[in-house]
Amino acid sequence: MQQRTVIITNRLGLHARATAKLVKLANTFASDILLARAEARHKTVEAKSIFGVLLLAATKGTEIEIICEGTDEAAALEAICQLIESKFGEE
Amino acid sequence: MRGIGRKFPEERLEGIGVCQGVAIGNAFLVDDPRGRVVRFFLPKQQLDAEINRFREALHLAQQQVREAIERLRAALGSDHAYILEAHLLMLQDPHLQGQIEKFILENQANAEWAVRDVTGHLLEVYAQIEDDYLRERGSDVVDVSHRLIKILSGTETRGLNELAEEAIIVADDLMPSVTADLDPRKVLGFVTNAGGWASHTSIIARSVNIPAVVGVRGVTSRVRSGETIIIDGTTGTVILNPSPETLIFYTEQRSRQQQQEQHDIEERELPAITFDNQEVKLRANIELIEEIEVFQRFNAEGVGLYRSEFLYAQAESGLPTEEEQFEAYKFLAEMSGEAGAVVRTFDLGGDKLHLEGFKPERNPALGLRAIRLSLQVEYVFRTQVRAILRAAVHGNLKILLPFVSNLDEVRAAKQIIADVERELRAEKVAHAEDVEIGVMIEVPAAVLMAEVLAREADFFSLGTNDLIQSMLAVDRGNENVNSLFDPLHPAVLRAIKQVADAGRKLEIPVNVCGEMASNPAQVILLLGLGLRDLSMTPTAIPTIRRLVRSIDMANAEKLALHVLTLTTPNEVHRYVQTHLSELGSQFLTTAHFG
Repeated sequence: MQQRTVIITNRLGLHARATAKLVKLANTFASDILLARAEARHKTVEAKSIFGVLLLAATKGTEIEIICEGTDEAAALEAICQLIESKFGEE
Repeated sequence: MRGIGRKFPEERLEGIGVCQGVAIGNAFLVDDPRGRVVRFFLPKQQLDAEINRFREALHLAQQQVREAIERLRAALGSDHAYILEAHLLMLQDPHLQGQIEKFILENQANAEWAVRDVTGHLLEVYAQIEDDYLRERGSDVVDVSHRLIKILSGTETRGLNELAEEAIIVADDLMPSVTADLDPRKVLGFVTNAGGWASHTSIIARSVNIPAVVGVRGVTSRVRSGETIIIDGTTGTVILNPSPETLIFYTEQRSRQQQQEQHDIEERELPAITFDNQEVKLRANIELIEEIEVFQRFNAEGVGLYRSEFLYAQAESGLPTEEEQFEAYKFLAEMSGEAGAVVRTFDLGGDKLHLEGFKPERNPALGLRAIRLSLQVEYVFRTQVRAILRAAVHGNLKILLPFVSNLDEVRAAKQIIADVERELRAEKVAHAEDVEIGVMIEVPAAVLMAEVLAREADFFSLGTNDLIQSMLAVDRGNENVNSLFDPLHPAVLRAIKQVADAGRKLEIPVNVCGEMASNPAQVILLLGLGLRDLSMTPTAIPTIRRLVRSIDMANAEKLALHVLTLTTPNEVHRYVQTHLSELGSQFLTTAHFG
């Protein structure tokens, strides 16, 4: 299992376009990928489910914990962090 | 009627009356497809088949969305389809599918009910999201569930086009796309849970002169289709289970109202000329092509403002085609006679144009809309201009550019229009050239630059509703500040004067097309400030005609001249109120102050 905490920095947060990108990316990996708000670690949602990610309601500045577990966990974690850190290619 | 032999007491609900008049009739509830889903209890041996039925529907829904994404990508490029991409991801979400199937099995329920229940729970969770922007995404869940339910039940939403008999429409809120279907002859009145004075339902109700009460909370859950209800659009009252006495009272009131309407029709041929022989043009504001009939009833001098937005709301899918628009403008040109019609190019934001990829804006009123959007999505604007220029062969059409805030926008739009002309010429398509191009004055910057704009514009149209809001920085839909929305504010009157003066100096016509043009007291001031060309909701024309025929222009000018020296809105109100009676008009009671 690998995990890391990142901060959402794009202006609109995890809105529909960003969420769609994230969910699509998560679905390209075999690992289980869970997300949670850093202040509520027990409430995880699956990154492969758009409903789950939208319900995180992550706005700009929200700290998100990413947990990957599976055969390609390292690659998955890296790719997702990179997407978030690149502000979803939006700005 | 509810249960035979059971007598329910009369009940009165209060809302906001947005179009005057009394209507008595049967209620027709416009429903939401989610509300129509019925729950079935299925025998165990049918559950597998039900799961399969659901999976087929899911598959078809995904297919529909995928095709829509392809169409959109082809038209606008890959970046514009993200909302639909989100819908597709929702339809592909294994959890959604899993939960719905589990619900079917555990509750022996039909698939429609399962979809409704599961998405309903999701919506409750969404409703608690604090961020406005993210919470909005709940509407995507609603869209996705509607799509599934429609496929499963094989029915379309029951719309107003199914209305068989005259009825009072009761709805949560009427969307422009729904109202676009209505047949004004069958609608006696409107009642909605939501909405305010400036909502679309209200604007439509006023333009077709149908009594309407909006903002009646919970009315849809208290009225059933077929029940007799009364609405009074003057007081904003809705009466359920009316007693016989109430029915008699309102029936009498309605017949008085009908007599007045008859009287108006008899007077419609009289010219709009003041005692001192000054002529005033009374034109109609039109939103639906079908309203042309209403406007002829009042003998308007052409159409001063045709709001083309409804063509976009009515379009079956996406944008109205050039041919659809051409047909509408051609009809308008033919019906509006010599005086002709002013077509305002679309005053919409990206969301209303169904352009995927336009992010919802935090403040759309000051956002990418109207001329700004026209210049950005030029192909949409060009299609509209092509249709107008072609239709102008069949009558006198003018083009009006909305929400102009600087000269560059006017120049850019004119350049596009000239380019479309060249294109039509090259294609040898019949079209009119030198169509007049007007500028809408509804932004303070345009008022201050009126003299400059007047050099490039063939005419001005003063949109007082937006101008007052932006001039006074007041959102009239916000009840905390809407009392500050005041057409008689000295700043507003000075702005109007400045525009009227600029028009006179540079010899271009100035028309007023906002609500001020339909308010008798305010019309006197407009006339006094030098305006002679008013465009209003057609039903206001009889009153304004009578008003014009009952005053001296010289007195109106004197009044306006003095009012311009006053310094506060209150002073203006007091002065106008005490001096209007001197003008000797029977219409100028205090009731006319809006």
